[in-house]
Amino acid sequence: MSTSRDDFGIAIRSALLQRGAKQKFSLFVLILLSAFIFALDNTNLKPIKILRSILNDGVYRISAISSSPIKFSSATKNFFSNHILVYNENKKLRSELNSLKERKFENLYLETENKKLQEILNIEKESVFQTTTAKVIIDKNSPYLNSVVLNKGTSAGIKLGMPVLSNGYLAGRIVEVNFFSSRVLLLNDLNSRIPVVISPNGSQAILLGSGKKKPNLEYLPENFEMNETNLVFTSGKDGVFYDGISIGQVVFEDDKIKVDLFSDPNQLLFVNVVVDKIIDIGGK
Amino acid sequence: MAIIFKGFKETIFRTLPLIVLFYICISEFHTQFFYWKIFSFNLQFIIIYYWILRDPSILGYGFVFLAGLTNDVVLNLPLGTSALSYLFVSLVAAYVRNATVRSSLFTDWFTFIIAILIGNFLYYFLMNNFSDLGLSYTDLFYNSLFTFILFPAFWLIFDIYKKIFISRVND
Repeated sequence: MSTSRDDFGIAIRSALLQRGAKQKFSLFVLILLSAFIFALDNTNLKPIKILRSILNDGVYRISAISSSPIKFSSATKNFFSNHILVYNENKKLRSELNSLKERKFENLYLETENKKLQEILNIEKESVFQTTTAKVIIDKNSPYLNSVVLNKGTSAGIKLGMPVLSNGYLAGRIVEVNFFSSRVLLLNDLNSRIPVVISPNGSQAILLGSGKKKPNLEYLPENFEMNETNLVFTSGKDGVFYDGISIGQVVFEDDKIKVDLFSDPNQLLFVNVVVDKIIDIGGK
Repeated sequence: MAIIFKGFKETIFRTLPLIVLFYICISEFHTQFFYWKIFSFNLQFIIIYYWILRDPSILGYGFVFLAGLTNDVVLNLPLGTSALSYLFVSLVAAYVRNATVRSSLFTDWFTFIIAILIGNFLYYFLMNNFSDLGLSYTDLFYNSLFTFILFPAFWLIFDIYKKIFISRVND
């Protein structure tokens, strides 16, 4: 019994301290060094934060360059698959066109009526948000985290917590800012929590990322009646987000009330970071 | 000229596993598929475990440490989390190498369970106690399971590579 314990001790000691011809450091030293770096990173000291920020900027650039072959192959695959689908899509579009032609006259009438109503209400047609456009440079999906890295940081006026839009719809929020880059936590990430309001009844809830494509709606009122026409907007209750940013449509899947996001988390290429609000529509 | 070319070829073949490890850590290479969410595996664990166990001269501990730090930066994890996790996988591999006389696919495969358990437990422990980032235990379990299941396939690929290229280089 004691012999086998001795053998275990010798083998572990040897594994921890032995350095071969090609091993410059022993495992023991490197484990201690890793633990020290981990502790240092958790202290939140300003010099460490600055150092990490510089390190992040450097590694993100290298990562963006090294990911170019993967991006190129993905783009090529998309290009060919899109061409294959074009024939079927064309047929579908023809039938849609016919039905749309029928509705054209109806829409013309509605458009005129809408114009008149807008004149009466004096609604601003411009975007209500002042945004800065950024390019997604890294889109690495870990099995547990869903986030993307943008090519703009504090130098472009981006700050922590700012909402990020894709085609005018909420895609996530800024969770890390460096000088030349920043990280967006996507809505479907496990750590994402957004207070939302559901139209048209005005029920409030929390949008919880589940790691899957469609995040869950939690903390709904007891008498909430789900309807497939329910739309989800930011409520602005957290004091971080502006209210009224479109998020998605309510759907019922896997016995859960979920939100089908208007922005596709897998298709982000360019996004708009909301830096300010021009007009407070809620106050109008 | 022939000697220089042979030396260059040898360096390339011997460094390739290290290049692959770093490339996986730093690039957008995914080992997770969105449409089948539960399927994900940790290729870094497999590479580190195999090469530390079978030919430690290919993968230095220092490089394993640096690969871990790179992975932490790219995934925005607290610095040192992956490095510690990878180094503990290396420790199990080094222990198995010292403790066993004759190893085969099956001995490597079953001792790999201990490496996955220790590596992922450490990862979960550090993330859960020292970070604000949430972690799904189920996702981690599936990741460990598929890493374990896929190990023999990669073992065979690496073994063929080792026999064809690295052994020939050493001749």
